[in-house]
Amino acid sequence: MSRNRNRIQGHGLIVNIFMLLVVAVCLFPVLWMCFISVKSVGEKISGFSALTIEHPTMANFGRLFELIPVWTNLFNSGFTTIFGTITTLFFCALAGFAFAKYRFPGRAKLFAFVVATMAISAEAGAIPLCVIMRKMNLINSLWSLVIPRVATAVGIFYLTQYIKDVPDELVEAARVDGCREFGIFWRVVCPVIKPALASWASLTMIARWNDYFWPLLFLNKNSKYTLMVSVSMLPVSDGLATPWQVILAGCTLVILPAIILYLLMQLMQKAGSFAGAVKG
Amino acid sequence: MGGRKKAGQSSGKNGLLARVWKYRTPYLFIAPFFILFLVFQLIPVIWTFVISFADWNGLGSPKWVGLKQYKIMAQDYMFRDAFLNNVWYWIVAVIGVVCISLMIAVCLNSPRLKAKKVFQTISFLPYVCASVAMGLIFMMLFDENAGLINEIIVSLGGKRRAWLGSSQYAKIPVIILFIWRIIPWFTIIIYSGLLNISKEYYEAATVDGASVIQQFWYITIPLLKNILFFCALTVTIDIWKMFNESYTLSGPGTSNTSLFQLVYENGFKSFNLGYASALSVVLIIVLLVISMIQYKLRRSEEGI
Repeated sequence: MSRNRNRIQGHGLIVNIFMLLVVAVCLFPVLWMCFISVKSVGEKISGFSALTIEHPTMANFGRLFELIPVWTNLFNSGFTTIFGTITTLFFCALAGFAFAKYRFPGRAKLFAFVVATMAISAEAGAIPLCVIMRKMNLINSLWSLVIPRVATAVGIFYLTQYIKDVPDELVEAARVDGCREFGIFWRVVCPVIKPALASWASLTMIARWNDYFWPLLFLNKNSKYTLMVSVSMLPVSDGLATPWQVILAGCTLVILPAIILYLLMQLMQKAGSFAGAVKG
Repeated sequence: MGGRKKAGQSSGKNGLLARVWKYRTPYLFIAPFFILFLVFQLIPVIWTFVISFADWNGLGSPKWVGLKQYKIMAQDYMFRDAFLNNVWYWIVAVIGVVCISLMIAVCLNSPRLKAKKVFQTISFLPYVCASVAMGLIFMMLFDENAGLINEIIVSLGGKRRAWLGSSQYAKIPVIILFIWRIIPWFTIIIYSGLLNISKEYYEAATVDGASVIQQFWYITIPLLKNILFFCALTVTIDIWKMFNESYTLSGPGTSNTSLFQLVYENGFKSFNLGYASALSVVLIIVLLVISMIQYKLRRSEEGI
């Protein structure tokens, strides 16, 4: 018995060491980026010397503002992230509500269809999509990043599963009280599913902030770029000789907000809520 | 509006029209998805097939050339390279992602793990980081002269390698970046699967004297089979439309080009929309086959 116990404690040690290793691998590139972004341009950054900072400086970030229109790009990123998230939450929850709480002809088939559309992604039709966007005059418009993804299959799928758990009595009671259908959704269902909306919102916000392919495709003016596109072009924006310190300062500028948002969300939510987000 | 749309389709059959009108509220609520799907997904995908039979630079009218683009594709070494790269990426990613996420999820679920919440929070971080920015960071980490990876290899007695400068190794940083970033997502899916396995199985097995390894092999794996399969399929879909990683970390020539990246380069850099569409068709077929497999299995296993 005691030998068995020793063995299990040995496993505990392995588990803890393994996870420490995992955490190190997860954190290392990000910390390394932060270190280099505050080193002065003259300092050595090769190999291990990157890990010591002699003269921390914010000059790289200042240079960044000279190379790319940071504020404009930040606004573009923020606009698409915020509007993209709000609209997608609203329309996915609305559709999820219809699928979960109404009985109507073709409901099961339509829902299966929604799920099936997840397999073929919009990327597959990128070429004609660009032509369509041009016809709709949405090229170089931030709305081109918002409108196509106002209602996504994954979002509808996830929120439907969640809204199914809302008691039917609640919906019925509101209906008896004379609440209109949209009122039931807005005033009864939405408050109840707040946790699901919150975790879906944070996942969407991160995905939209990090979005690269679609902005690259639909936006082709400096003043319309999102921050992500501008940063990706940093290596060539100073005549092919942008110092690494400045490039990594740009990376820090796009990665840190996402990390901070994520940590805030983690602090606000109870344990395991992210796991709940993908239960379906 | 949705109600009216459905009604328009069934004009003439008065009974059906009345029925649709009766259920107009739910139809209206789900209409936005179907309209957007039609305009921004279904029409583009069908149109892709059409353009693939044409020569078109996006302006003017397309010139119909029949199977020409496909004939070009059959001869094109760039297509062959990109396709084979993608097969390589696919195999490595599926094995790598499923194995590593499973290991991390099992460890996160272990009762022996200290400070579980901290580990959980930090191990999700890579998923939050933008792949493009991480691509730039990896570009530096894997730099031949200044990069840390080479420094570590040399200090361990290995040979300095031109990771992104040689066609031999250029795929490696790309797939490491892809796996590094995507793992947390699958860890969470597998972890939530582990939470659903009843503790009683393990308790009974421990009483019977089964070792931890045996428990993992005979309880955890069989019960997670569906979830692991779901993960493998999702990774498959993600890797076939991979763009950001190989685009930012592009090596010499087509050494690490992904198929979707080739679509982009042909379509939006050389404006050869016909050929790019033909390449997209290959991509669509791959994705269709995968989803067909998924559908078959979903039916037989009733819900993953």
